[in-house]
Amino acid sequence: MTLLETHQAEIEAIVARYASKRSAVLPLLYLAQDTYGYLTDEAIREVATILELPATDVYEVVGFYTLFYNRPVGTWVLQVCDDVPCCYCGAEELIAALKQTLGIHEDETTPDGMFTLQRVKCLAACDRAPVLQANLDYVYDVTPDRVQTLLNDLRSRAAEARKRGVSGRFAEDYEFTRDGRLVQIERFSPYRPREFVIEPPAQPATPPPSVAPEADAGLDRPDTRKASPL
Amino acid sequence: MGLSEHIVMRELDIPDIADFEVYRRHGGWEAYRYALTEKTPADIVQMVKESGLRGRGGAGFPTGIKWGFLPKGVYPRYLLCNCDESEPGTFNNHQIIDKNPHQLIEGVALSAYAIEAEVAYIYMRGEFAAAARTLERAIAQAYAAGFLGKKILGTDFNLDIYVHRGAGAYICGEETALMESLEGKIGQPRLKPPFPAVAGLYGKPTIINNVETLANVPRIVEKGVAWYRSHGTEKSPGTKCFSLSGHVNRPGNYELPFGVPLRELIESPEYGGGMKGGRPVKIIIPGGASAPWLTADHLDVPLDYESVAAAGSMLGSGAVIVLNDTVSAPHVAYKMDEFFKHESCGKCTPCREGTHWLVRVLHRMVEEGHATAADIDTLHSIYRQMAGNCFCLLGESAVMPIKSALALFPHEFEALVKQSSRHNGHHIPLMVHR
Ligand SMILES: Cc1cc2nc3c(=O)[nH]c(=O)nc-3n(C[C@H](O)[C@H](O)[C@H](O)COP(=O)(O)O)c2cc1C
Ligand code: SF4
Ligand code: FES
Repeated sequence: MTLLETHQAEIEAIVARYASKRSAVLPLLYLAQDTYGYLTDEAIREVATILELPATDVYEVVGFYTLFYNRPVGTWVLQVCDDVPCCYCGAEELIAALKQTLGIHEDETTPDGMFTLQRVKCLAACDRAPVLQANLDYVYDVTPDRVQTLLNDLRSRAAEARKRGVSGRFAEDYEFTRDGRLVQIERFSPYRPREFVIEPPAQPATPPPSVAPEADAGLDRPDTRKASPL
Repeated sequence: MGLSEHIVMRELDIPDIADFEVYRRHGGWEAYRYALTEKTPADIVQMVKESGLRGRGGAGFPTGIKWGFLPKGVYPRYLLCNCDESEPGTFNNHQIIDKNPHQLIEGVALSAYAIEAEVAYIYMRGEFAAAARTLERAIAQAYAAGFLGKKILGTDFNLDIYVHRGAGAYICGEETALMESLEGKIGQPRLKPPFPAVAGLYGKPTIINNVETLANVPRIVEKGVAWYRSHGTEKSPGTKCFSLSGHVNRPGNYELPFGVPLRELIESPEYGGGMKGGRPVKIIIPGGASAPWLTADHLDVPLDYESVAAAGSMLGSGAVIVLNDTVSAPHVAYKMDEFFKHESCGKCTPCREGTHWLVRVLHRMVEEGHATAADIDTLHSIYRQMAGNCFCLLGESAVMPIKSALALFPHEFEALVKQSSRHNGHHIPLMVHR
């Protein structure tokens, strides 16, 4: 079955939104990626044919944008933000915990094909650090002690994830409760103010060191951990 | 200096405003109805001009004046809503969409009416997949209620709004790169002029505004210019949704009038709640990754465009990153420039090569522990060759972290050189490169 045969109505609706067919290239690549799991050569050529573009133009687009995968990825792609400020608020500790638990490095996939681990840049959720996306589902407040809960949850949702694909067309948001449960955030729920725990000042205040060489690797910096929002 | 009523983050006053019916009950879409049935597009442009609304996407350009640049009588025109939000430290658009989506859609619709556009696209970063569905649902509700479509509310105005997701590229937030991306190409900026108002999407006159900018518009039309200008300062009227992050007790978005002192945002128990563990402030980046750094000496700077500029930085996107004394300045510069290197589109040499070399040198100094005195000169020389020579502002922004770090914390670079043990000023091979 070709993309056009399986998704004709959706493709036509997408193309109709734009004054130029070519504009539909990102939405169609998302569709192809969800259909095939990743962007195979065949998928790329199909998108090119539908949009009447040279295949090289579509290859160029696939290469430019980071959310397109032109080789197989795990059922769950874990994209962990390691940018400033997250990297000073527990992101490095989270990545270390994920690497250790999964037994893989960045840009690798676990042998069972379940998880691919990636470092990514700011995810626009810096107040909820450490933060990651699992197939573009946001997961907030992922402190290292919550990694096991998260991975168990993702494993049990794997069948569903395979249906939903890695392009986030049906993405949801998740967060941890204070007692460490992982819950889905109702997308259309009323606003609920966040709760914060104000940490007491360190006693006695230490004078600032001229250089903090371990700042990036600082494995025990509890002062950078943030309380859960619930 | 708190607000009695929020202009944009209204979920704080009306908790379930994300519900279409609740939004309607609180006057939602009435400003739009009023505009369509009783005002001309020119009236709305005039109103926005008088309100002094300034673009929240980074440059702070007056919105009404931008709208006035459209050439007369040239159609079709397009409205683009910029929701690429990818600069480290910025996360208010994300919250506006999650918590108050209908006000954004009404703002897009009203602004499209004002500039006489019949098609509007909301360009969202690809990662905002769930948020894109929130907006698609809000748009569907607006169609069902008769606010979008053909011959809206019995007038001759037609409008379609579409959500378009990018696919992971910060540069697509730059307005002309966004247009390239929306046209189905790789996101590389275009030469300006011509400016988008003259030749933008598909070569047609195009207005592009940030999410927060457009979300202000319904409130200006509903409550009037005088009310709007009663917030903020003379030159920066209204409020700003500051995204506060880093080593504060209560990171989050806080909507405050322009002109609020930095100290209040960071220390007030209602906002930042002070520094985590009471540690001292070391680096403040007041306007997203592109802004020159400030320090604890600047805590009394009022947060408006003019005052932050006078302090030597820029308010930019209003993303305030506060870091404490546990961070090393060369490391922050390294991480920031790693961001810019990662996101450089590769179109022009100073940025593509400059960010690459900044990161290589910094990586060796900071991560591998090999630093020579000559490295400091090399860093100065790299950013000087970039400054003023890049094709777009991404490359120019990449200068700021390293320039700030070298200017404010030169001793930390010197300390790295002193600490560097395994060399004697000899050539050091580059061991690792990411
Ligand atoms: C590299 C780069 C990235 C940008 N990213 C964004 C962005 O994510 N969102 C945004 O609104 N503006 C961004 N801008 C600014 C836009 O080019 C443009 O000025 C803005 O969308 C105009 O809207 P405004 O007048 O409402 O601020 C970026 C600019 C540059 C140079
Ligand atoms: S400055 Fe950087 S992002 Fe901008 S055009 Fe040049 S290479 Fe691309
Ligand atoms: S830096 Fe991690 S989400 Fe912004």
